[in-house]
Amino acid sequence: MTGPVFLFVLAVLTVVLAPLVGGLLFGLDRKLTARLQGRVGPPLVQPFYDVLKLWHKEKIAVNRLHLVWAWAYLVLVIASLLLLVWQQDLLLLVFTLGFAAIALVMGSFSVRSPYSHFGGQRELMQLLAYEPVLLLTAVAVYFRTGTFLVSGILQQDRPLLFSLPLVFAALVIILTIKMRKSPFDLAACEHAHQELVRGIYTEYSGPYLALIQVAHWYELVLVLALIGLFWAHPWWAGVLLAVAAFFAELVVDNSTARVTWPVMLRLVWASCLTLVLANLAALYLIV
Amino acid sequence: MGLVTTARVKSPWIMHFDCGSCNGCDIEILACLTPLYDVERFGIINIGNPKHADVLVVTGAANRRNARVLRNLYEQMPEPKLVMAVGTCACSGGVFHQCPNILGGVDKVIPVNVYVPGCAARPEAIIDGVVLALQKLAGAA
Amino acid sequence: MAPGLGWLVGVPVLWPVLIALLCLLLRPYVARAAVVLVGGGVLIAFSLLVYLQGPFTFTPPAVAGMEWHVLLTVLDFALLLWFLHAALVQRSLLAIVFTLAQLVPLAYWEFALHPQVTVEPAFVVDYLSIVMVLVIGIIGSLIWFYALSYMPRHEEHLHLAQSRQPRFFFYLVLLLAGMNGIVMSNNLLWLYFFWEVTTLCCYQLILHDLTAEARQNATRALWMNLLGGTAFVAAMIYLSSAGRSLAVADLVAKGGALPLVLPLALLCLAGLTKAAQVPFQGWLLGAMVAPTPVSALLHSSTMVKAGVYLILRLAPAYQGTVLSNVLALTGGFAFLVTAILALSQNHSKRVLAYSTVSNLGLIILCAGLNTPLAMAAAVLLLIFHAISKGLLFLCAGAAEQELGTREIEAMAGLAARMPFTATIAFIGMLSMLVPPFGMLAGKWAAMEAVAAAGSGWSLAAIGLLVAGSAVTVVFWAKWMGRLLSQGLPREKVAERVPFFFALPLAVLVVFILALSALVGPVSAGLVLPGVSAAYAPVLGVTAAALILPDGFFPVWVLGLIALVGVILPLAAVRVRPAEARPVYACGEHVAEGERFLSLADSEARLEMGGFYWAEFLSEGKLNFWVNLLGVALILALLGVSLA
Ligand code: SF4
Repeated sequence: MTGPVFLFVLAVLTVVLAPLVGGLLFGLDRKLTARLQGRVGPPLVQPFYDVLKLWHKEKIAVNRLHLVWAWAYLVLVIASLLLLVWQQDLLLLVFTLGFAAIALVMGSFSVRSPYSHFGGQRELMQLLAYEPVLLLTAVAVYFRTGTFLVSGILQQDRPLLFSLPLVFAALVIILTIKMRKSPFDLAACEHAHQELVRGIYTEYSGPYLALIQVAHWYELVLVLALIGLFWAHPWWAGVLLAVAAFFAELVVDNSTARVTWPVMLRLVWASCLTLVLANLAALYLIV
Repeated sequence: MGLVTTARVKSPWIMHFDCGSCNGCDIEILACLTPLYDVERFGIINIGNPKHADVLVVTGAANRRNARVLRNLYEQMPEPKLVMAVGTCACSGGVFHQCPNILGGVDKVIPVNVYVPGCAARPEAIIDGVVLALQKLAGAA
Repeated sequence: MAPGLGWLVGVPVLWPVLIALLCLLLRPYVARAAVVLVGGGVLIAFSLLVYLQGPFTFTPPAVAGMEWHVLLTVLDFALLLWFLHAALVQRSLLAIVFTLAQLVPLAYWEFALHPQVTVEPAFVVDYLSIVMVLVIGIIGSLIWFYALSYMPRHEEHLHLAQSRQPRFFFYLVLLLAGMNGIVMSNNLLWLYFFWEVTTLCCYQLILHDLTAEARQNATRALWMNLLGGTAFVAAMIYLSSAGRSLAVADLVAKGGALPLVLPLALLCLAGLTKAAQVPFQGWLLGAMVAPTPVSALLHSSTMVKAGVYLILRLAPAYQGTVLSNVLALTGGFAFLVTAILALSQNHSKRVLAYSTVSNLGLIILCAGLNTPLAMAAAVLLLIFHAISKGLLFLCAGAAEQELGTREIEAMAGLAARMPFTATIAFIGMLSMLVPPFGMLAGKWAAMEAVAAAGSGWSLAAIGLLVAGSAVTVVFWAKWMGRLLSQGLPREKVAERVPFFFALPLAVLVVFILALSALVGPVSAGLVLPGVSAAYAPVLGVTAAALILPDGFFPVWVLGLIALVGVILPLAAVRVRPAEARPVYACGEHVAEGERFLSLADSEARLEMGGFYWAEFLSEGKLNFWVNLLGVALILALLGVSLA
C-alpha cells in the first residue's frame, strides 16, 4: 500500500484534513484558556472565522519578498507534515521544519520594521533552543529502533515512550516553544503587544496573516503527531498521548509568565539536553 | 448573510488608540476584556496593530499633535475597516471642546462609524457600540 | 586520443608552475589576463581528463639522468632555508624554532641515515584524489579569473606606485601546483614537499599588502603551518626508523598495527594545523587581511582542504583506534565552538572564516567516526563546502569593493542595492543549511552516520553535532536576514558587475544548484568510489535520492518542495503600488516608513541592527577557554597514541 496513487491520496487527505483538525484544536485552546480564566470564551470555530475574515481583507503589503516567505513557510510546514504521513526520514523532517522556521525568520527580516526584526531575532533564539532537541529526539529514536524512517518506527510494537521517557519529556518542553505558548512565547505573542506589537507577524496582514495562521494549524498537527509517535500502537493511545500533551501545554500556558530569551535558552538547553543525553546514555549502557 | 460577512462579524479585531483621553475611557475599554464582560466571546481581540485590526477604537479628543498619527494608523488598516469613537471626548471633544490645541471629535480627522458617548463610556455601552458597528458591517456587505 | 598518464600528473602539477612564472615575468595586464585565462582553461580541462581517466598510478622516469627525488630534496632544503630566512626577517621565535625542528632532523635523517626514500609508484591517483583535483582545478581556476577583476580595483584603492600583481598572481597560481602535488603524491616525502609549498604560498599571499597587520598575521600563519610541518617530519622519521615504507598506500593498507599510531597522530596533527582546527584557527582568521581571492582560495579549494584531505586519506589506517575517536571529538569540538564564535561577529570575512573552520571540523568528525557512511558524508561535505564557500568569499569581496567595508551591518538591504551579488550570496548561504542542497545531504549523512556508529564516543559527538548545527543556522540566518532587509518597492537598480566577477559567481551558483540536484549521481560517480577502496559501500544511490537501510533522502522531492515553496511565489507574488503600505512605527512614520518623527518632531531614520551577543559570546570572553580545550584535545590526540 505505498504506490504513488496511495501516497497522492494520502497527501490530499492530509492537506485537506490537517487544517480542520488544527483549526479546531486552536479553537479548543482558546475556549479552554477562557474557561481556565473564568470566561465564556469564543466559539470553537473561532479560528475559522478569523482566517476567513483575514483572507477576504484588502491585500496590503510592504514589499514582495516579505510575502514570498509567508508562502514559503506554509509550503514548507505542509511538506514537513507530508514527510511524516508518507513515513519518511525523521531527520529530514526536522531539517524541513527548520527550513520552514528559517523562512519565517527571513520574512520577518525582509522589511525594515523594528518590531518585525525583534520577532525575527527572538524566533532565531527559539530555533536555537529547540532545534538541537528535535535532532536529538530523532537520534534517540534511532538508538531505540535502529531507523530514522517513520515507517520503521511504526513497526515497533513496544511504545517508544517506555524506553524514551526523558526524551519525551524534553519533547514536551519544546512543544511549548513550537506551540508558541507561555513561558516561551517570545517571538510573536499577541499578548505582548506593548513590547512587540506582533513580533514577526507585525507587517503581515489580511490574506498573508491568514496563510501564516493556517501554517500554524498544520504545524500544530505535525508536532502533536510527533508526540503521538511515542505510543503508536494502538493508534488511539498515540492520540490520547498527544491530547494529554496538548492539555498540559494549556495549563502551563495559563500558569506561567513569559521569560526573557537568555532564561529560555538556559532553561531549555539545560533541562532538555540533560534529559535527552541522560536517556541516550541509559539506553547505551543498558542495551 | 454570506459566509464571509459572518466571518467578519464574528471576528472583529480591535486596535485601541488613545488620542489623549483622561484614561477614564481607556480603563473602561480594558474592563471589557475582563472575565466579567469577556468580549472575546464575540471573537473580539485587542490586537494593537493597525495592519491586523478591523475596528479602530479611539478615545480622547483629536488634537493638533496626534491628528497625523491618527490618520497614519487609519491608513495602515486594510479594508473593510470601522472606526468607533468611545467617550464624549472622542465623539465631540467633550470637556476639551474649544481648547486651543483641540481639533474636536475624532471625526474631524478620520471618518467615524459609531459614536459611543459617555464620560466615561460604560463597558455595556462600548459593547453595544461594537454590536452596532458589526450590524453596519453586515448591512454594508 | 587519451593523453599519457604522465601528462595527467605532469600538467596539474607543473602547468601552474609555468603559468606562475609567466605571471611573474609578464607585466602588462592584458598579457597576464591572457595567460591566466588560458592557464585556467587548460587546468580545468586536465582536471576533467583526470576524472575521465579514472584511478591510475604513475612513476615519473628520470629526466636527463637526474632522479626526481634528488631535485625534490634540493628544493625541500631550499624551501626550509627560505623559511628560516623569512622567520628571521619577521623576528618570529616560534617560526625559527619550528623551521629548525624540521631542518636539522630532516638533514640528519636524509644525509646521515640514508633512508629508503623512493617509493613505487610515486603518484597514486584514486577517486579521493580525483575529487580533490576537480575541486582544486575548477574552483581554483575560477578564483584566478575573479582575481583578474579584483586585483586592479584593489590596487587602485591602495594607490600603489607600481603594480604588485605579478608577485600576487605568482603565488596564487603556484598554490594550485602545490595542492595538486599533495593530492596525487604517494610518497610521504614528496607530499611533505608540496605541503611546504602551500605553506610558502599561503605566507606570501597573506603578507601581500605589507601592512603591519599583514606581517603579523602572515607570521602567525607561518609558524602554525611550520608546526604542522614539524609534526610531518617527525612522522616520516618515525616511520622510516620503524622500517616502514613511506608510501601512503602502504600506510593505509597495513594500518592498524600498534606501533604505527603515533606517526598517524602526528600526520593528523599536521592536517589539523593546515585545516585551521582549534587551537590553530588563528592563522585562518588572520588570513583575511589578504585580498579576497586569497581568502576564497584558502578556504574553499586549497590549503585547509589539504589538511582534511590528509586526514581523510589516512582514515583507513587509524580505523578502530582510540586516535580515531579523539579525532572525532576534536573535529566536533571545533564544529561547535567556532560556530558559537561566529555568532558574535559583525565582520563578513570573519563569519565566513569561522564557518570554514566549523565545517572542516564536521568533516574531521566524520573522518574520526571512520565508518563507510561517515566517510561518504565527509567527502560530500568537502565537495559542497568548497563550492559554497568559494562562492561566498567571492560575493563578500564584490560587496566589500562596492560598499567599502566588510561589515555585515553595512550589507543591510543589499538585495535591493546589489541584486545580482546579493541573490547569489543568498543562495550560497541557503545552500549551507537547508534541504535539498548538497551540504545538507552531507549533514544528513553525517548525522545518520553518527547515530549509527552507536559507541560511547559517538554519544559525545552527537551532542556536539546537533548543538553545532543549530548554532550554524542562527549565524547564517542573521546574515541572510540582513541582506533582505528593505523598505517599500522601488525601481530596480541595475548593478554593474565586472565580467570576471560575474563569470565565477554564475558558474559556481550553477554548480551548487546542479550538483545538489544531481547529488545521487555525484555520490555514485565520485564520492562512493572515493571511499570504497577501504570501506564497504553502504549508501544506496539513485538519480533522485540517497538511500540508506535506515534513512532516505529524496533529493528531487525536496527540490520540488523548495521550488513550490520559494521559487513559485517568487515568480508569482506581486505587490501593486496601491497595495504598498509603510511599516508600522506606532503611526509616527514619515517618508514611506524609512523615517519616523522622534523627539521634538525631529525626523530620525528607523535603524535596525543585528544581534551579536557581544556581552556573552565575544571572542575576548571565549577564546581563552576555547584554545585551552583545543590544546587539551591535541595533547589527548598525541597522548592516546603514545599509550
Ligand atoms: S470622555 Fe470623559 S472619561 Fe472619557 S476620556 Fe473624555 S474625559 Fe476621560
